[in-house]
Amino acid sequence: MTALIIVVGILAVVGAVGVVLSTQPLYSALSLVFSIGMLAILYLILNAQLLFAVQLIVYAGAVMVLFVFIIALLNPKAEDRPILDVRAVVAFVAVITITAALFATAHNGITYSGSNFRGAVVGASHNDQDPAYTKHAFDFKPADVNSGQAGNVQTVGGQLFTVFLLPFEITSLLLLVAAIGAVYLTRRVPKTEVDT
Amino acid sequence: MILSADPFLLAPDAFPPLLGLSALLFSIGVAGVLVRRNPLVVFMSIELMLNAVNLAFISFGRFLNSEEGQIFAFMVIVVAAAEVVVGLALITQIFRIGRRLDVDDLNEMKL
Repeated sequence: MTALIIVVGILAVVGAVGVVLSTQPLYSALSLVFSIGMLAILYLILNAQLLFAVQLIVYAGAVMVLFVFIIALLNPKAEDRPILDVRAVVAFVAVITITAALFATAHNGITYSGSNFRGAVVGASHNDQDPAYTKHAFDFKPADVNSGQAGNVQTVGGQLFTVFLLPFEITSLLLLVAAIGAVYLTRRVPKTEVDT
Repeated sequence: MILSADPFLLAPDAFPPLLGLSALLFSIGVAGVLVRRNPLVVFMSIELMLNAVNLAFISFGRFLNSEEGQIFAFMVIVVAAAEVVVGLALITQIFRIGRRLDVDDLNEMKL
């Protein structure tokens, strides 16, 4: 299963690189759809069936169709200036730095022992005699990983409508505001308003 | 097998690669925001970053055997959808008043 995760992950990274490097916006959108689809497969592997469906319906279905609509409507040209210049070097350095920092944190920054996380600064002196400290992060027992039913619609929906009811209701307000804002922003601006 | 009721076996050593993948996707999204000038592609890069964070949320939720990671990812998806709607409305309006779609040209917040 780890091999499958790695293969799907590599495909997701290929799609993500395609988003950044494609000159045509439409190709970027299609690469993003591919990357999102690969992430949906990962969600399924991670036992998140509801999120798998939501990812495909909301992201690949609604959001990306909206993107493609806008691209077709505006018909933006490919960027005339070269992509690789000074800011590409800055971006490359930023990518390397962020990835290395996140890798280091994921690998030895956090240790899992018993029932709680113990955060530790990378490079800080670990007490290796401490039996709770483990060399590799997230040294789970398989029984912990494979015992639960977390992820099906029943459990997620149950949590969503009990413990997280208030955030869920606030979400509806957010969507209402976003819809009204979109209608307001796309209204036709009178010529005089632009000129002044 | 995947859709069966029994959760299939997932080795704990699958967790670091997932976090690494999340970090890599997030970094690629950052690179897209820094490099690209088309606001549409910048938005797509932001979507990429949000998806990377979602992957981290769901991985943590899976390996801690809790639904809360998935609920957070759910909320992130909702916020991303709202953000895309407002952002694309802004881009449409910028195009309508005849400005070039270039984030370097749009460095002041007036028409």
